[in-house]
Amino acid sequence: MGLEYVKISPGFEKYMPRDYVDLVEFGQFGKEIDVMQMGQFKELVEEHPMCAGCYMAYFIRVFYTALPKPEDTIVLGTAGCARLALSQAAVPFIYGNYGDTNAVASGLKRALSIRFPDKEKDVVVIAGDGGLMDIGFGMTMHSWFRREKFTTIMVDNEVYGNTGGQESGMSPKGIQLKMAPTGKKFDKINAVELAQTAGCVYVARISPTNPKRIAKVIRRAILAARKFGPTFIHAYTSCNIEYSIPTREVLADARQREKKDFKFYEWMTDEVKEYLNEIEKKAKEVKS
Amino acid sequence: MYFVAEVDEKECSKYNCKQCVLFCPEPNCLNFKESGHTAWVWYDRCKGCEICVYVCSDLLKRNCIEMVMVKTGD
Repeated sequence: MGLEYVKISPGFEKYMPRDYVDLVEFGQFGKEIDVMQMGQFKELVEEHPMCAGCYMAYFIRVFYTALPKPEDTIVLGTAGCARLALSQAAVPFIYGNYGDTNAVASGLKRALSIRFPDKEKDVVVIAGDGGLMDIGFGMTMHSWFRREKFTTIMVDNEVYGNTGGQESGMSPKGIQLKMAPTGKKFDKINAVELAQTAGCVYVARISPTNPKRIAKVIRRAILAARKFGPTFIHAYTSCNIEYSIPTREVLADARQREKKDFKFYEWMTDEVKEYLNEIEKKAKEVKS
Repeated sequence: MYFVAEVDEKECSKYNCKQCVLFCPEPNCLNFKESGHTAWVWYDRCKGCEICVYVCSDLLKRNCIEMVMVKTGD
């Protein structure tokens, strides 16, 4: 997708819905957008059926703003909450079977590099904790072992929110949920360390309390994946329904968790660090 | 009947801060008008989660946003 694909044929302007016309006139395609400009342009993601005050929806909103090249990006998702918003964006979206997003992404990335050898095509997987760390665990791990060059983002709501609140491998120890009344008996999986061991070249853990930082992490992960290998972001996106967080307190909860077990963490290999520093230095020079 | 956020534009334009816009989970729901330096709400898109009220009133103590009841169908 790009601006040429979304442009309206002459004569049809007055028949198109307002949202679509806005996307063409004030959209993100072909522009350098900064995340601090949110609310001043037409965003790629449209209205979606996610719950009021859902911070997964917020993370996805920032994600689409932060994409370095939305016209050359393909997003993959799976069953879970995130796909409700991902499928409402002006970026191609592929719906994998539950758990096999990373396998689909591996094939897709390889096919794209054969079909467009002189173009950078970004593939990004966004799935929940169930899709990546429980049911899709094998596929996720093996895509990392094979050093596939795409980004995996885990939007971790610590519960199976779509199906009534079963515990997942990412739920914290001791937590009682609607479909897990005896409380969870095991610790939360340490996904970030797993990713590091499995061969990711860039790993980050983040709580969505600072839009600028989220955008920076997403940009870095995508840029590093283009050249070096798999990258992984573990984002805390609370489920205010299953965890009974009043919507007004959702951001407060994210800030609190950031102080405890979701402290900002970023790790990358030396060559990635060098590469990213170079790119960010160049971008700064262009700006000034 | 349901709640949506409403920005007091006169009060909001004093600060030029834009923080509520950056923390709203809905796309293009809370927007920023550069001409008046104020945030404004696209009422049809607002789900009434009050995160903007938390940012404006609880965090920044500026009290520019309040929740109002809207009626539909009449």
